[in-house]
Order: sequence, then structure tokens, then C-alpha cells
Amino acid sequence: MLKPKSMTRAVIVGHKEVLDETVDTLHDINIFHIEEYNEEDSTFKIGKPFENAGEVSKKLVQLRSISSFLGIKPKEVPIQDTKVLWAELDEKLARLENELDEKTEEKNSYETRLKELDSLQKELEPFVSIPIDLKNYRGYENLSVFAGTVKGDISSELSGITNDYELEFDPNTLTIALFVRKDKEEIVAEMLADYEFREIRVPDVEGTPSEIIADAESERNSINEKISSLEKNISNIKERYSDFILASDEILSIESQKSEAPLRIATSEHTFVIDGWVPSDEYNKLTRTLESSTGGRVFVSKQEVAEEEEEEVPVEYNNAGVTKPFETIMNLYARPKYKEIDPTALIFITFPLFYGMILGDIGYALILLGLAFGVKKLVNSDAIKPLMNILIYCQVSTLIFGVLYGEFLGFPLASLHGAHGIEPGLIAGFETINLFQSPIGGEMITYPIHRTHLVMTLIVLTALIGVAHINLGYILGFINEKKKHGFNAAMLEKGSWIVVEIGIVLAILGYVGYLPIAVGAAIFVIGFIMLIKGEGIKGPIELPSLLSNSLSYTRLIAVGLSSIYIASTVNLIAFEMIWPQGGIAAVFAILVFIFGHALNTVLSIIAPGLHALRLQYVEFFTKFYEGGGKEYSPFGYIRKYTEE
Amino acid sequence: MVGEEAITMMDPAGLKAIGAGLAVGLAGLGSGLAEKDIGAAAVGAMAENEALFGKGLILTVIPETIVIFGLVVALLIS
Repeated sequence: MLKPKSMTRAVIVGHKEVLDETVDTLHDINIFHIEEYNEEDSTFKIGKPFENAGEVSKKLVQLRSISSFLGIKPKEVPIQDTKVLWAELDEKLARLENELDEKTEEKNSYETRLKELDSLQKELEPFVSIPIDLKNYRGYENLSVFAGTVKGDISSELSGITNDYELEFDPNTLTIALFVRKDKEEIVAEMLADYEFREIRVPDVEGTPSEIIADAESERNSINEKISSLEKNISNIKERYSDFILASDEILSIESQKSEAPLRIATSEHTFVIDGWVPSDEYNKLTRTLESSTGGRVFVSKQEVAEEEEEEVPVEYNNAGVTKPFETIMNLYARPKYKEIDPTALIFITFPLFYGMILGDIGYALILLGLAFGVKKLVNSDAIKPLMNILIYCQVSTLIFGVLYGEFLGFPLASLHGAHGIEPGLIAGFETINLFQSPIGGEMITYPIHRTHLVMTLIVLTALIGVAHINLGYILGFINEKKKHGFNAAMLEKGSWIVVEIGIVLAILGYVGYLPIAVGAAIFVIGFIMLIKGEGIKGPIELPSLLSNSLSYTRLIAVGLSSIYIASTVNLIAFEMIWPQGGIAAVFAILVFIFGHALNTVLSIIAPGLHALRLQYVEFFTKFYEGGGKEYSPFGYIRKYTEE
Repeated sequence: MVGEEAITMMDPAGLKAIGAGLAVGLAGLGSGLAEKDIGAAAVGAMAENEALFGKGLILTVIPETIVIFGLVVALLIS
């Protein structure tokens, strides 16, 4: 807790003969983080991938392209034995590809035919209402044929030229099919030019246009049927092979990782050196397993970590299971450095606390709790699960604060005796109990706490929570700094802030008259000088942030109040403005109620979540946290679909 | 002698409400103006490098305190 896992630098040296076994073992135990070898000016060379690397990656590419073509998604499948898989992999992969190729080829040819039919139909369109067999447009010795569009009726003009003609005219599309004697061709062509004649190519088929179109239509239908049956076949293949594809993708990925591992390690002619990191508590496991798998032919040694190497240490969180989901929030900002305090456990407390303080409503807590559990159950994704867990923690806190505040979907649960008489609560007979007078603003502290009637007190209280949280940040900063640069630097950089704060508090006490004001002022000046020494000019510039940061925590009450007001406005519109009109209005009232609260529920995730997050990131983290550690990613693979 | 001028009084409660509204509204505008450029730049940076999400979010929400101050002032007025 509060510290990343302790890491040990280990160097594995051995003869190349046992490289294969070593890589296998390292991959299996999945605890060793390989430090990539950098070849520059050294007698060692980067290793060559194992012989099977090319073939494995070829198969992997083949498999993945099939998998993406079929749209295969990760899912729960029965675990398969790797031996069986390897034995049948080649044959099954080839068969799968053949089957798919056959089907897709057939489908493609059908699709090409469909396109041909489409274009034929388009070409035939102008001739639809001209009942001439298309073969009669061609093959005359003494006749000229004009087929195309004109801008109007040409029959009268044509009669002036010749009587030996045959004309079909479609007045809708202005298409003509004109047959004249060859010797009149030129004059007719001139006349047609006046009518803006534009020739249309006559499709090279036989039969009347309408017949051909009807045939094409029926062919199209039968092709469509065939295509859909092919598609069914393909999805059938997907069903049958998806287990195989997922499992063999896994074993091929593992194999490819192993076979490319030598690219990350240093080798000489006969030896190899693997440099890397292992969690300190697993170092013995590493040496033991390597020794037994290679028969003691590799040598593992522990290396001292020099101070300047600390930046390179991969960082692995070391948190208890309950606080694990909050690592997501840490990763969103930055992974802690190796020597730094890991505040995940603190966020585990303060993030849900702040969220609950802001929202604090039994109704929304129950709705969101149900939602979170539902999503967690339905969505099987490693990215969503921690987020839902965080949401669940937050809702538990919201529920507790909801009971404390006595609120349900914006309705107060208890009745309240206010200046305007008694406001009834949702639960009949549940009376607000006066506890004691608040020192601020003459407000009465009650159970349940009515936030709307305790604004002044809560604003001051939340600002004080802010001061506490910020100072926790400074203390953590002090510890970090002490570890890195010693006590003096820590005192000047982080301790000075606390001294300044003490000075301010004493000065205020002095102002009120408890002690001489000079004491506070003196301590403030001391703190101020320390600050300038520690942080330079940046310190005094940031001094006002003490005030703005702690006032920033008043959002804990302010954002909460805005959420209450939205909820109670929805209730007001639904039940006091629409509902009393009776009849159909009651339905509207319920609709307004449902949609209003649905909207506010969505806002209830975003607003408190973002504000609680911001208080962590901006107000808290800036006091101590640097981040930027390297991720610990051990060489290995977490099997999902297969087992050895 | 003072004439009988009609003395018009503004309702103090109404003035309070106007003040509270102005406090929230203007503060909201202020933080909106401040956040728009930062937000756009942050999204741009995130498009280049997704790891900048945390930093981008922080920089974007820094001016948000302004509207919280407005909200607090409004609560204090009303």
C-alpha cells in the first residue's frame, strides 16, 4: 500500500543452446519485464528471431485477416488443449481458408452479375415504351437507323422530307426510333440535328425491352436469394470456426512473442544476456524455475540499482483488491514513479467520499447502483469493469450520505419546521430533529441534514475539508521530497507551506484577539522566506492558490445543491403544476417526472464524478504527485482460450 | 416643501434574485470563455498522444473554480 511493488534488476546469462528453454520458461511464468537491449557501441548484438518466426507470423496474419473478415469478437469459449490445436492448426486453417475463398468467390461473381444487370436495365430504360425487338435495330443494308432523344415531335418535319419511313416516338422520354432509306440519311440527320438529336447506344441483346427487363428482374431475384444463402453459409462458417480462430490466434500470438523475443536481448556468438526486472518477492521463483528448466545451465544474478537508474524501473501497483479499481484513475493521470508514494489507497477513500457528499441522494444512489451492477454483468470488458466498480463504491457512499441528508430523488424524507411553516416530508411522521446551533450564520444543525437550509455552515465545513485534504497533500509531498532530496529540501519546499498556513491561522486568531497579532505575522514571514528559498519566485506567485484551492472545495456543497434544485424543480413541475389538473395531465406529470429524473441521473454521474476527480487531480495531486513511471509489462501472456 | 412624489421601491428579494442570477451567469460565462481555448488545445494534444488525457483534463477544468465561486456567492446572497 502507498508504495509501488519493490523491483529487483536481474540479469540472466547462458549459452545459446538453452536460449529456447529460457525464453519458454520466462514466457510461462510471466513475471519478468525485459529491458530492451540497445545495440549501440557494444560487442553484443541483438539476437536473431527463432527459425519459426516467419512462418508463425505468416499464419497469424492469415488468421487475423480471416478473423477480421468474419468479424469475430472475443467471447467465452470452452478452453482448448494446445497440443490438439497445434496438431490440427495447419490443416484446419487451410480448410477454413478454402471454404471461405470458395464462398466469397461465388458471392463476388454473383455480385458482378448483379451489376451487369443493373447497367443493362439502365441502358434499356429509354426503349421501354418502344415495342421493337432490339435485334431489329441492326443489320440493314438499305436502311439507316436513328435511335436517341430529340426535343420534340418530328413527324411533320419528317413527312416534308420523305414518306418512306418508320417512326416510333415516346412523348414522355422524347425517345425516337427512326428507320429511313439509306439515301435520305444525310438530310434526315441534318433535320434531326435541329431537333437536338442525341444518339443512344442500343444494347447488344435480343428481344423487346420490356421482356428483357422482366427477365433481368427474375434473374436478379434468384441471384439475391443465392447471395443471402451464401451469406448464411459464411456466418455458419463463422459459428463453426470462431472457437478455433480465437484459440489459435492465442497460441500463435504466444508463439510469435516467444520467437521474436531474441530481438530484445543481447547475444554474442555463443551466449545470450537478458536484462530486466522482476518483482523482488518473485526473484526466487525466477531463479528456481530457470534452474530446473535449463538444468542449471543459465546464471541469474541480482544487480544493484543505481540512483540514476531509478527512472527506468518499471512500476507495478501494489494495492489490495478493493482499491485496485482506482488504479484506473491513477493511470488516467500518470503512473507513479518508482520511489514515489502511490496514492491509490487514499483516492479509494476520498474519491467516493467527495462523490457521495456532492450527490447524497438515496434515490439516485439506488438507480445508479442497479445500473452499475447491470452493466458489470452484461458488458464483458476489462476496461469497463473497474469503472463500474468505482461507480459502485461511489454509490455506497452516496447512499450513506443520502441517509444523512434524508433525500430521495430531490424530495426531503423528513418534514421541516421552517420560517414558512411546516414543509411535509416524503415519510409521514418523520420529523426533523434539531441537534445544536451551528456557530456559523445562526443555522440549526438537524438530523437529517437539510442542505438547502444549512448553506453557510456547509460552505465553511467544505472549505475546511479542503484545507485538510490540501495539507494531507503537502505532508505526502514532504515525504516524497525527503526521500528524494533530504529533510532540508522537503522542509523548504513543502513544509514552508504548512508554516505559512500556521502563520495565517495564528494571525487570524490574533485579529480576533486571542494573542498578539505579531506572533502570527512573524511565523508567516518565516514561512514566506522558506518558501522563496525552496520554490524560488514561483512560491509567492502560487501563494494565493492556498485560498482558491481550499475555496474550490466548496463545490462539494455547491454542485450538490444545484443537483437538488434540478431534482426538486422536476418534482415541482410534475406534481404541483401538472398533476393537480387531473385526467390526461397525470400521464404528462409522470412523463415529466421520469424524463426529468433520467436527465438528472445522467448528470449525477458526470457532475459529481468530474468534480470529485478534479479535486483529486488539481487540488490534491499538484501538492505532491509527479507521476510518469514506466509500466511494468512482464514478458508473457495471460491465456484465455487455451491451456497447455 | 416636498411634493407628493410616488416613491417606488424595488423588492429586496427580487434584487437578491437578480444578483444571484448575475453571479452565476456571469461567472459561468467567464469560465466558459476561459475553458474553450484550453479545451480545444487539450483535445488537440490528446489526438496526438492519448496519455495526455489526465493533464488535459486538469488544465481544462482549472478555470472551473470561477463558476463555483459564482455559485457560492449566489448561495450566500439568496
